[in-house]
Amino acid sequence: MAQEKQRFWLNFDSKGVTRPIIWEMSKKYDVVFNIRNSSVTEEVGIIGLEFEGERETIKAAVKWLESVGVRVEPVEINTIEG
Amino acid sequence: MATEFFSHLKCRECGRLYPKKAIHVCEFDFGPLEADYDYNLIRSQISRARIESRPQSMWRYRELLPIDGDPTVGLQVGFTPLVKARQLAQALGVKELYVKNDTVNYPTLSFKDRVVSVALSRARELGFKIVACASTGNLANSVAANAAASGLKSYVLIPADLEASKVLNSLVYGTNVIGIHGAYDQVNRLCSEIAGKYGWGFVNVNLRPYYAEGSKTMGYEIIEQLGWKIPAHTVVPMASGSLLTKICKSYQEAVRVGLVEESHFSIHGAQATGCNPIALAHKAGTDLIKPQPKPNTIAKSLAIGTPADGYYAVNVMRKTGGSAEDVSDAEIIEGIKLLAETEGIFAETAGGVTTACARKLIEAGKIPRDEPIVLCITGNGLKTAEAVQPHLPSPRLIKPSLREFDQLVAAELQGSPATV
Ligand SMILES: Cc1ncc(COP(=O)(O)O)c(C=O)c1O
Ligand SMILES: [Zn+2]
Repeated sequence: MAQEKQRFWLNFDSKGVTRPIIWEMSKKYDVVFNIRNSSVTEEVGIIGLEFEGERETIKAAVKWLESVGVRVEPVEINTIEG
Repeated sequence: MATEFFSHLKCRECGRLYPKKAIHVCEFDFGPLEADYDYNLIRSQISRARIESRPQSMWRYRELLPIDGDPTVGLQVGFTPLVKARQLAQALGVKELYVKNDTVNYPTLSFKDRVVSVALSRARELGFKIVACASTGNLANSVAANAAASGLKSYVLIPADLEASKVLNSLVYGTNVIGIHGAYDQVNRLCSEIAGKYGWGFVNVNLRPYYAEGSKTMGYEIIEQLGWKIPAHTVVPMASGSLLTKICKSYQEAVRVGLVEESHFSIHGAQATGCNPIALAHKAGTDLIKPQPKPNTIAKSLAIGTPADGYYAVNVMRKTGGSAEDVSDAEIIEGIKLLAETEGIFAETAGGVTTACARKLIEAGKIPRDEPIVLCITGNGLKTAEAVQPHLPSPRLIKPSLREFDQLVAAELQGSPATV
């Protein structure tokens, strides 16, 4: 299967900020991740991540992140405009 | 015209330089790329007289726009009226007020024609034959019309549940309109996948650095139309926050290239309460934007829950001493009516947001009553007529009889001095 690179912004709320979610994800899914950017306050956290892996695996990892309350956006944040 | 004014793209985060291609994020930190210019060269070539001698369109500021050759799309766009709004000023209790009226921008009646004419002119220079966008309204209309007029093929992606009038205003130009079922997030993700997979010019994705620069022309025009002055206060509606940051950039650039004296200015941002992530962040004193997954407002053109330029918009407001405000749907309707009744300008819901937020900021003392204020009114009311309709009276009906008309007028004039 072809390896792919995909880039996302991950948004955490106050609960997610303190949990090692990315570490948990990497234990569950065979994706390589590379943190490119991050800013965290008490309220929210935003992390820019590049994933490398098979398309289906990346998809599953993203789904899992969403299931634990992380908002996942492609780096093209708003492709939809008014 | 010389083509070397626009030199490269530059990451807004780390300052790395990139070639002028169809790319939009920094490989290193995902920061947005922005057009960068040789300002010294521009300064040596540009002048007020030179600009004033050119046709009245946004392209009279050509040196400060990110294309290489002469523009080929949207040559008539821009140079909309700056209206001295005496009656609205009186209603709001301020001394000097202007409306920058992009409700009559050519050809699709919103400020989006500015961004699209730059994006498509650049798309042609880069060799694209197909252009695309994902939009809930104004952007789609503008891409469809300007692509049609310049012989480009276009795809317009929209959420499946969009209002009929917005869909019609794209369909009529013969573009490929594709409705997508699903929540905003899913639609957004699909669009970014499409943008990545098909080699199209996606105006607000891979062409975004070019596209976004078009908004600056609104700011240059305001300066020129004020007699080469920067207004002390400018109120700007925010969706992604891009227009607000570009108005600021236009004022700074005008100083930098010697078109106008440096003077203090504040930029204020306006949103609807039903989708106010940027205003909320500004009020909370942070620049981290908390996404709003379920926008709920009649100002649909501003309903972007994850604003790409929100961070930068907050910082512009903060650095310039501006404020952010948001208003309810009821206040938006009042804003639309106030602008229409005092200045004869029928704006879309985004214009209601701007007018109503300006009023609130003035009442709160955040915009002083004795300094010049410009409201950026960005879209035409005919596009969102259904939002206002329930709040307007019906016409009074009479038989074709002069007596009935007389009775009606007499009732009207009761209490006021006779005028016949
Ligand atoms: C009428 C109108 N005004 C203002 C805006 C705000 O634009 P921005 O995304 O640059 O903040 C939009 C964007 O869609 C719009 O359609
Ligand atoms: Zn960078």
